Amino acid sequence: MAAVRVRGLTVAPAGSRPVLRDLDLDVPAGERVLLVGPSGSGKSTLLRALAGLLDAEHDDDGAVTGEVLVGGRPAGPGAAGLLLQDPLDAVVAATAGRDTAFGPENAVLDRPEIWERVARAQAAASFRPGRERDTATLSGGELQRLGLAGALALRPGLLLLDEPTSMLDAPTALAVRDAVLAAAGDSTLVVVDHDVAAWAHVVDRVLVLGADGAVVDDGPPAAVLARAATSTSELWIPGAPVPDPLDVPSELVTPALRLPGGDVALHGRGLRVVRRRRGLRPGPATTVLDGVDAELRTGAVTALTGTSGAGKSTLVAVLAGLLRPTAGDVLAAPGLAARGRREPWRWSSAELATRVGWIPQHPEHGVVRPSVREEVRATGRALGLGAAGDRRADDLLDLLGLAHRADVDPHLLSGGEQRRLGVASALAAGPSLVLADEPSVGQDRATWAVVAGVLRSAARAGAAVAVATHDARLVAACADAEVALAGGRLLPAAGAPAAGPAVGTPADDTPARLAAVRP
Amino acid sequence: MSTTSTTPRSSALARGPLGRWRSLDLVTAAVLGVAFGVVFWGWDVVYNVLSPGFGFFQPAKGLLGGVWLLPAVVGALVVRRPGAALFTELVAASVEYLLGSGWSVGVLISGGLQGLGVEIAVALFAWRRWGAGVAALGGALAAALEALYEAFAYNDWVLGWDLAYGAAFVVSGAVVAGLGGAALVRALARAGALQRFPAGAEHRAAQRA
Amino acid sequence: MSVTDLVPPTATQDRTAAGGPPVRRCGPLSLLGASVLPVAGSLAVDTWRVGAVALAVQLLLLPLAVRGWRALLPRLVPVTIAAVSVGWSTWLLGGEADPVAAAVASVLRIAVLVLPGVVLLAWLDPSETGDHLAQRLHLPARAVVAATAALEQLSALAQAWDELSRARRARGLGPGRGPVSRVRWAASTAFGLLVEALRRAARMSVAMDARGFADAAGRSWALPARWALADTVLLVVGALLAAVPLVATALLG
Repeated sequence: MAAVRVRGLTVAPAGSRPVLRDLDLDVPAGERVLLVGPSGSGKSTLLRALAGLLDAEHDDDGAVTGEVLVGGRPAGPGAAGLLLQDPLDAVVAATAGRDTAFGPENAVLDRPEIWERVARAQAAASFRPGRERDTATLSGGELQRLGLAGALALRPGLLLLDEPTSMLDAPTALAVRDAVLAAAGDSTLVVVDHDVAAWAHVVDRVLVLGADGAVVDDGPPAAVLARAATSTSELWIPGAPVPDPLDVPSELVTPALRLPGGDVALHGRGLRVVRRRRGLRPGPATTVLDGVDAELRTGAVTALTGTSGAGKSTLVAVLAGLLRPTAGDVLAAPGLAARGRREPWRWSSAELATRVGWIPQHPEHGVVRPSVREEVRATGRALGLGAAGDRRADDLLDLLGLAHRADVDPHLLSGGEQRRLGVASALAAGPSLVLADEPSVGQDRATWAVVAGVLRSAARAGAAVAVATHDARLVAACADAEVALAGGRLLPAAGAPAAGPAVGTPADDTPARLAAVRP
Repeated sequence: MSTTSTTPRSSALARGPLGRWRSLDLVTAAVLGVAFGVVFWGWDVVYNVLSPGFGFFQPAKGLLGGVWLLPAVVGALVVRRPGAALFTELVAASVEYLLGSGWSVGVLISGGLQGLGVEIAVALFAWRRWGAGVAALGGALAAALEALYEAFAYNDWVLGWDLAYGAAFVVSGAVVAGLGGAALVRALARAGALQRFPAGAEHRAAQRA
Repeated sequence: MSVTDLVPPTATQDRTAAGGPPVRRCGPLSLLGASVLPVAGSLAVDTWRVGAVALAVQLLLLPLAVRGWRALLPRLVPVTIAAVSVGWSTWLLGGEADPVAAAVASVLRIAVLVLPGVVLLAWLDPSETGDHLAQRLHLPARAVVAATAALEQLSALAQAWDELSRARRARGLGPGRGPVSRVRWAASTAFGLLVEALRRAARMSVAMDARGFADAAGRSWALPARWALADTVLLVVGALLAAVPLVATALLG
């Protein structure tokens, strides 16, 4: 274990304002600290400073001043264990054992010592698939445990965690959290995570950073959370009420092609998708979707739920006409047919864009233009919608709080902003089918209410909306029906979620709306 | 060697001794190589549509060849250290080989020669100039070496056709790989993807100006 | 637990245990060497007779090297396309008195050039190759490690390509029929992929530096890189294959 001492740390990356300003921090050896704050408050930067990586990072015209001591010595790379948000970023080798051995190899340990460290670190991290397991075949939770083992193999006295569970579903996230706590032992622990509720009760101290990169609050979890809940914080504090989805003017979300309310706009029957892993070690074919039925009705929001790897994103891609199912049928309502074709995967790109709005799981992959304004207008331009299309796009941009970023390259937006841009771009051309993949990730309370509001209002205005999500709050606030998946199959007993509020959609009086799933 | 005081005409350089690669330099060049391997894979969609058009005049196919030289030019302009072009192009070629290229280990030889061509061009300017002109020269040299190799190893054409093919390839190397690669690196800097590289510093300097 | 229990077998040891043709005992350097040497020999293939002899010798050795005939066939498709396209262009542009014979000769020359590499590729393990390049050939260790780590991102990048091209299709910007539209589509998707690659590389290098990669001047290796008798034999066979076209030219004129 190692004590942390930070004095006057200021970090100003090249070409932007400081992300950390004159920060002082003392963490006694063995203490467990949760670090929270709005996005852009410098949480990740502070972790990198503690990991001794800033000198390496800011060697261009950025500036780092101040002192960072870990265990009494200036922080240097390799001294602290660091676990990152996306476990794939930490994978460096083809087999699990080789991957854990990476740190000990860099430390020039001899071979027997390396493999003993690997065995101990994997046991400590509760990583059980074994050292010869191909890393390409690991699940998200297993990968994050492998990342933990890789960090532990260097026996760090300080363990730094940068949103280690944010890409995992709730049960897996809890299991990984417990593995971290068990493995940390008496190490000093500093964790950054948006999920305050999951960590608040297992840490000794909560540190809140403000938007300007200075410490706003610091103390025992109970006291800090009590203060945060009374303030008008945009953070998700446990116990604080979920905001109401915003009501969005219908002209911004009304579909161009309208179907009668309550009609089945799109249905899938017996959908099956078989995929072969590509890459250097092609795996056997795996069935990612198997015998799934789903119906999307106009006027309704259908939630697609399930753990990571359950097949939600694949189902969204099939329903959106972006992936041809291996077997089964996916058919749009006759009113949406293009050149007589009702299968979305057979539509041309322009036909698809007229009918479908897709919000991808990784919003940075959705970027098609070099500025935010061009991005949100792109579909309308491609479809020849003219000035009216531009106007609707610009209004959506404004609604989603991005108008002031209109001239920026979309790649420069934060993850949460990119996702909102994805929502605006998907709805700009007035789609009848809106298919959103994890639209609410990375949103604070205020922007969450807008994203949830856009989806719910689009349904009220006559679109059929499907949302694949881990966000139970979003399901509770918006969903009229639920398709629950597990291991690529439908879970039986799915239907309207208990908490689903009755919304005043034209479909309200059609009982069939509740049976969006036929198991 | 302050990047803030550079005039727009000169290039921002890598920090520290040229031969001392940061981890970021190594990993970036390698991942760029892998990404280009994937791009070449996706490029088939285009290539298969375009190449029948050249069926009656094979040497014109050289005009498409510049695309295969992009990893070397982009790797060099991003990292700006000796060996970056060769390393990036070799990784891209390895991916092509491992995925089952029709030329088998031939792509490794091609990759080495193409990387070498760009290395020669940047070495001629002592690794101090990284503008579009140097990039175009690098692309042209890489194309010339590749055309020479193909003339020996693959093609049994009369000399005139070899020369026509080589000329088309060199033009493509200079324009598509050289000028295109330089434009690509500038676009990547604009997208904020090169913030910790000299090209990112150039972009910031240009914005300040 | 003894040390030998702790150290996992190398890829070669795994193959040796599994049984199969003799080539399975060879490590990556001899596999690469025996793939590249025949390229030099293929330059001497000037007539269809020489090409036929050289290819026949390679085909005779095939049973000693093939890892699964069924897996080999799909690998031969791109090779065949490449060879035929070269043959066709020779027929068209070779200016030979007998264009058909010249075309056949160039098809055979390409076959002689690529066949060893295609067959031996099935035995090549990228991370084992990295081990050998660094430990035996003493290539720069950090560059080799960066390259093998980057190869692990291949399937993630291929997946990113899928999502990028889906996004373009969904936004009405999919590849049309015309070549111009396809080039624009490919360029736009490729740009997105490069942005993704650069961001991924930045995050990877943070993760790797946190595990001591930053100042790893020296480095030890978790797995050994052994050179076996089989490696020497394969290299000699590769050299002999490279000599076949030369000998055949001398004998057949």
